[in-house]
Amino acid sequence: MPDLEDKPRLDREIIAMRVAKELPNGGYVNLGIGIPTLVSAYLAPGQVVFYHSESGVLNCGPLAEEGEEDINLINAGGQFLQPVPGMSYFGSADAFAMIRGGHVDVTVLGAHQVSARGDLANWMLPQRGVGNVGGAMDLAAGADDVIVAMEHTDRQDHPKIVEECTLPLTGKGCVSLIVTDLAVVRCTPDGLVLEEVAPGWTAEEVQELTAARLMISPDLQEYQL
Amino acid sequence: MPSPERIDNQRLARRAARELASGEVALLGPGMPMLVPGVVPSGPGVTFLSDSGIVGVGHQAPQTTEAQGTSPGPGGSLLSTVELAALARAGYSTAAVLQPAQVSADGGFCHWTSEATPGLLPPGPAVEMAANAGRIVFMLPHTTTDGQPNIVPQCTLPIDGTVTRGVIVTDIGVLIIEQAGLTLTEVAPGWRSDDVISLTGASVSVATGLKEMEFSLDDMRPVNKVFSSGLEAVRDMPDGSTVMIDGFAGPGGMPHYLMVALRDHGARGLTMISNTAGIARIIGFGTPPGYQAIDHSILIENGQIRKAVASYPVSPSPARPSAFELAWQRGEVEIEVVPQGTLAERLRAGGAGVAAFYTPTGAGTLLTEGKETRMIDGREYVLETALHADYCLIRGYKADTMGNVVYKGTSRNFNAVMAPAAQITVIEVDEIVGPGELDPEAIVTPGVYVDRVVQRPSDFSPYE
Amino acid sequence: MTESTAYTKVFDSPAAALDDLFDGATLLISGHRGMGVPESLLRAVIESSVHDLTCICHGAWPHGDDSVDLDDLVKAGRVGKLITPHGFDPDRPGAVRSLWESGKLQIEIVPQGVLAEQLRAGGAGLGGVFIPDGIGTRFQDGQEVRRFNGRDYIFRGAIHADFALLRADSADLFGNLTYRGSQRNWNPPMAMAARISVAEVDEIFEPGGIDPELVITPGIFVKRVVQTL
Repeated sequence: MPDLEDKPRLDREIIAMRVAKELPNGGYVNLGIGIPTLVSAYLAPGQVVFYHSESGVLNCGPLAEEGEEDINLINAGGQFLQPVPGMSYFGSADAFAMIRGGHVDVTVLGAHQVSARGDLANWMLPQRGVGNVGGAMDLAAGADDVIVAMEHTDRQDHPKIVEECTLPLTGKGCVSLIVTDLAVVRCTPDGLVLEEVAPGWTAEEVQELTAARLMISPDLQEYQL
Repeated sequence: MPSPERIDNQRLARRAARELASGEVALLGPGMPMLVPGVVPSGPGVTFLSDSGIVGVGHQAPQTTEAQGTSPGPGGSLLSTVELAALARAGYSTAAVLQPAQVSADGGFCHWTSEATPGLLPPGPAVEMAANAGRIVFMLPHTTTDGQPNIVPQCTLPIDGTVTRGVIVTDIGVLIIEQAGLTLTEVAPGWRSDDVISLTGASVSVATGLKEMEFSLDDMRPVNKVFSSGLEAVRDMPDGSTVMIDGFAGPGGMPHYLMVALRDHGARGLTMISNTAGIARIIGFGTPPGYQAIDHSILIENGQIRKAVASYPVSPSPARPSAFELAWQRGEVEIEVVPQGTLAERLRAGGAGVAAFYTPTGAGTLLTEGKETRMIDGREYVLETALHADYCLIRGYKADTMGNVVYKGTSRNFNAVMAPAAQITVIEVDEIVGPGELDPEAIVTPGVYVDRVVQRPSDFSPYE
Repeated sequence: MTESTAYTKVFDSPAAALDDLFDGATLLISGHRGMGVPESLLRAVIESSVHDLTCICHGAWPHGDDSVDLDDLVKAGRVGKLITPHGFDPDRPGAVRSLWESGKLQIEIVPQGVLAEQLRAGGAGLGGVFIPDGIGTRFQDGQEVRRFNGRDYIFRGAIHADFALLRADSADLFGNLTYRGSQRNWNPPMAMAARISVAEVDEIFEPGGIDPELVITPGIFVKRVVQTL
């Protein structure tokens, strides 16, 4: 596999761009931190998405300019927001009623591992002995669609798509789509289906860097932007 | 022999109102109880909650119906039906004023709406209002229109609840409900106890100090929940208390001044329920560039915390551990990690009288190991229980002297859900205003849930 | 948000907003003793041809010729079952009473606080709650009772509905709602508990026309908005 390790992969912005295509017009979307945060920059012209933040605001807009920071207007990552028309504020109980109640259409999360059954592990590395779960388990359990946006392998080039998660789970069978720097993989009741590959990559090469069996979609195509 | 005259509903309402003292929170059922706010004196005394969700303070004009909506007077606020039920269920009312059709000797009652529709028996709000109120004030005619007693040995209809402590005010007398039975304590002007007893179906003892009913109402001492300083407001917190302290993670919504007060007070062995166990100082979460926020870490460094219940207890970076993580590594503190939405919902349950609930969050994960699960509609749910606390330290933007609170932007976060979940809720605000100065539509936390209000001094800095 | 005003939840008419209402649907209807009743939406349901609706609401409160109430919906033959804490007012008998008495309308009575909590549970994604309401009364019969900390509680499952008819004071194009006084009543829990919530309002604003601090029902719970007629 050494040749695959050096083979060029897509960058984080391209992953975000691909995820953006999945967001429904007029949908309510919660973006996790990391690659997911980048997604909002790549909406199609005219596309409307209402961003939900568990900090207690709906219809979050762009980040505040330097010098305009207001500690009373932040997103769940602690970034300062600009006030925009059409926002609403609410407390934590309502913020999570929205998530758990299935009112959030899509959440985009990062992951340590995703399993063949769509299990998600993204909150804890056991060696630390303690983890920050935050709202991850609520989003995994509650959002209609859970999209994982991540690198296909970890820093040691170990596959992050695995047969069974070895890290503590965030949610079972919750992931609907995995978008990586190599591929787009859909989680189905029958298993993982490889739907798209990065330019220059073959299905076989993606399978080599994946520790779960991938079914190849009959409509397999190149990464659709 | 002609009976003496019975008192009219207006005087009956005045007599019922004498049962309510300043600072009380009274739930009002439909019917005669709705007359009570119209007879009490003006000013911030008794808080009345009607079953349509209006929170009124002191004297209120009778509510109109059949309009798009009635608004409360100065100092009032508004609740949805679900919030009203939560308030009643959690036992926040000191009294419920209801009109039963029948009351039995053992305190069982049937609400007038149940009786009025035989076969259907709709109790409206009576079940939850009666079940959890501090005590009950019943208002009803002593007999039916054809002279049959409404106070009976046994209710002839299914009961809507059983009252162990309360008072019955009728158009001819006043009776006390106690475990031991009913006692006649007052009779209407011109009535003798024997005449009242003859119209009472249940057995009744007569109080030794039997009096004539009175209808005068004194002015009420205005409710004022303002404390002079943070330290005064937390001074009585004993060691070993459970305390909720707000903060999403950054300084927005964090009661910095009260946390400093708690540090200075020094109570130890505390169980702290909060979203983080203090990470703002370490990573600058939600903090303007160049500042370092005072956070929960000051209580940990002062050795006051025994256990933290949190969703995001430690710094995101192991390389920059928080005071809490260092204390945890030294074995000085315990930790319970709870998913953030489950934390919010457990707090909501605590403040809403819900003992436990089933949630899909965390099913099949480390955080719910050993917990009861149940399949509901083909999905696995985990049983989670309510969180309660002795104290709650929260942060608002403005409050009035009765404890009504408004927040600002995303700084509402856990404040609003914590306020009802603690025995003693202390709030720190930028500004305290008089009753009626906050728009009732804008009030998020009604004063019913707030015990102590403290103004953050203008020279206090939330940053180190 | 981009292109903010290009997106709107406002429908042309109550009928258009309820075009996909279907036979046998579960319908939540706000309003409490005549206050905050979605009258224009009720008229649209009356004029539709759906039948066998299950309606969950406070109850009937018929009040005059010009206004529309649950009672008119029942009279029009749209309703098969009512779930309510109140049913109908004994002093204002109407179609609800007569159809119930003749066995053509099924009524299930639920205490007000139980119903409100079940709606919230549905809207908040809970599988059910343990609450003390109704212990020691007929509302305990046949229910699962469990003891927590020395006190008995009854299990109550979540309620989910197909549609909710809401009545608010104002909305913006994104469905954020404010109420006026006691009009608020059942609206917030009902908005959460239905798959499709439709709000009838007096005034509709562009985004930014409503102070975000004053929004009581955020737009995420509201699919459609109509101007009251």
